[in-house]
Amino acid sequence: MINGHADEIAKLVEPGRVHRRVYSDPDVFELEMERIFGRAWLFVGHTSQVPSQGDYITTELGRQPAIMTRHRDGSVHVLLNRCTHRGAKVVNERRGHSPRLVCCYHGWTYDTDGKLVTVPVPEGCAADFDKAAFGLARAPRVGEYRGFVFASLADSGPSFEDHIGPMKGNIDDLVDRAPDGMLALDAGMHRYVFNGNWKLQVENVLDSYHVPFGHASTVNKDGVQFARREGDQKGATVVEADKKQTANSWKDRKSYIAGNGHGWTSNTSLDDGKRSSPAFDEYKRVLAEKVGAGQAQQILRPRLHNSLIYPNMSIMGLNIHVRVIKPLAVDRTEVTIYPIRLVGAPAAMNFGNIRLLNVTHSAASFVQTDDLESFVRAQKGLQSHHTDWVDISRGLGAEEPDRDLNATRGLATHEMVVRAQYKAWLGYMREAA
Amino acid sequence: MDTAAGGAARIGGVAGIDRTPFELFLIHEAALLDERRFRDWMALFTEDGTYWVPAVPDQASPFDQASLFYDDRDLMKTRVERLEHPRIHVQTPPSRTAHLVGNTMVELADEAAGEYLVGSTVIMVEYRDDQQRVFAGRQRHRLRREGASFRIVQKRVDLINCDSAFEAMAVPI
Repeated sequence: MINGHADEIAKLVEPGRVHRRVYSDPDVFELEMERIFGRAWLFVGHTSQVPSQGDYITTELGRQPAIMTRHRDGSVHVLLNRCTHRGAKVVNERRGHSPRLVCCYHGWTYDTDGKLVTVPVPEGCAADFDKAAFGLARAPRVGEYRGFVFASLADSGPSFEDHIGPMKGNIDDLVDRAPDGMLALDAGMHRYVFNGNWKLQVENVLDSYHVPFGHASTVNKDGVQFARREGDQKGATVVEADKKQTANSWKDRKSYIAGNGHGWTSNTSLDDGKRSSPAFDEYKRVLAEKVGAGQAQQILRPRLHNSLIYPNMSIMGLNIHVRVIKPLAVDRTEVTIYPIRLVGAPAAMNFGNIRLLNVTHSAASFVQTDDLESFVRAQKGLQSHHTDWVDISRGLGAEEPDRDLNATRGLATHEMVVRAQYKAWLGYMREAA
Repeated sequence: MDTAAGGAARIGGVAGIDRTPFELFLIHEAALLDERRFRDWMALFTEDGTYWVPAVPDQASPFDQASLFYDDRDLMKTRVERLEHPRIHVQTPPSRTAHLVGNTMVELADEAAGEYLVGSTVIMVEYRDDQQRVFAGRQRHRLRREGASFRIVQKRVDLINCDSAFEAMAVPI
């Protein structure tokens, strides 16, 4: 039983291993909801999801229902989706448009900035009832970078700039690919759930070690994965076919950490000289036309593969998408994946991205499904008491500074990124809220 | 195409068309899936055939929105090869399925061109690794007559819970 004392929490994480209870203990999970999801900067949504006044989306911050709205003055608000009267969830749809948010129970009505505007039968209110004090609760702190909206449910803590600063380049890496320099998360979503702890998904997004084995079913007899991007003639070589082992080119891939639990993997060439299709060629032409040939050349250079913005969001640069991780219970997690539309890119290029994301990351995809199987089996295996420790020691001591990137570098098949996540995890978890 | 009726669907579907051959075709297709004969299932599709499972109700297009499945023949081939791969973890052990197809109706017909739109209700029960679950919805097959049988130009399955969060799905519905 975890009492939440710092010294007891600290015992769960050692330099190259973590105790299985971080994945399986409901008490640890409750503390995570309070100490991590109750105060970390969490990704909420993208401003393109609420383009017009009165637009809203609903989501969860940790387990708490939340709404992101676009108010009449154009401002974006992050509100808790709970009526201040008797507690009902006010907005039930995942997305919609309404100039007012009306609770279904007694009709309390809020403006899109959260202000309480109408209470039916107002003469029944207590004499000292102050409508101004009964607006929807707001996330105490909200920050935005290039349309990506984050919120913290704590009044104080590291600033948005401190938290997101090291990852701005990773967001730029994706946004700059849009000929108009803007993204739109308006192409629907994929949603999947699994019987496993949320950190299994968080750890997996930067895990290049598992690919040749976990995704063996997507690799042909020549060790090559299926073509998964518009214009690609084939996918990455992940296995040396003759030796039946991980390909050297795959083993050379790098991973990086830059504090706060964040990390990323590289590199994925956007234009390797062989990638070609009418849609991709037209995209390259439009990009050069809009941003200039020199800048387009920069953008088409190798880009980041996967970026994790700890604790609940990742950006994928290969099959471009934004992934949001929502813990439901210690052994149950929901994930939402938003395809990204590159604003200004040809429709056929955006369709190429959407079409191939269907087969890489939908609940019925070729790639994500084998990961889900691994997560479910990990959760089952971690019920074993025989060994309490989970090994995350690959590459321990092999990390090296990358001064150009102001980051620490390791091999993508190592576990440096996971250790960095647990360093951040401990930072949150040791400190009582 | 002759529509079933002006606007509202005519009871019984397009007049003068016996639905029996269509029902038998759908039963055959369902059997191929239940028997995991995925290659034979794929061969039912025309070369430009598509298999589509939208991710939202009444989804207008697969081109600007995410879908659970939207496979052309190339992607279908990759999917089938993966289903046959010995190390497909999410099918170890494999799913067992039982499809039930009913309420079949020929909704549109162009007899001259040999093209038909056939609606039916599908229920698929899937069992795998100690878990059983149910998928259900309305499916629409765009069929082209070929000899004594049909090829599928498009199969679209609108699941009643298409916009829910799913646990991993490996086999087509």
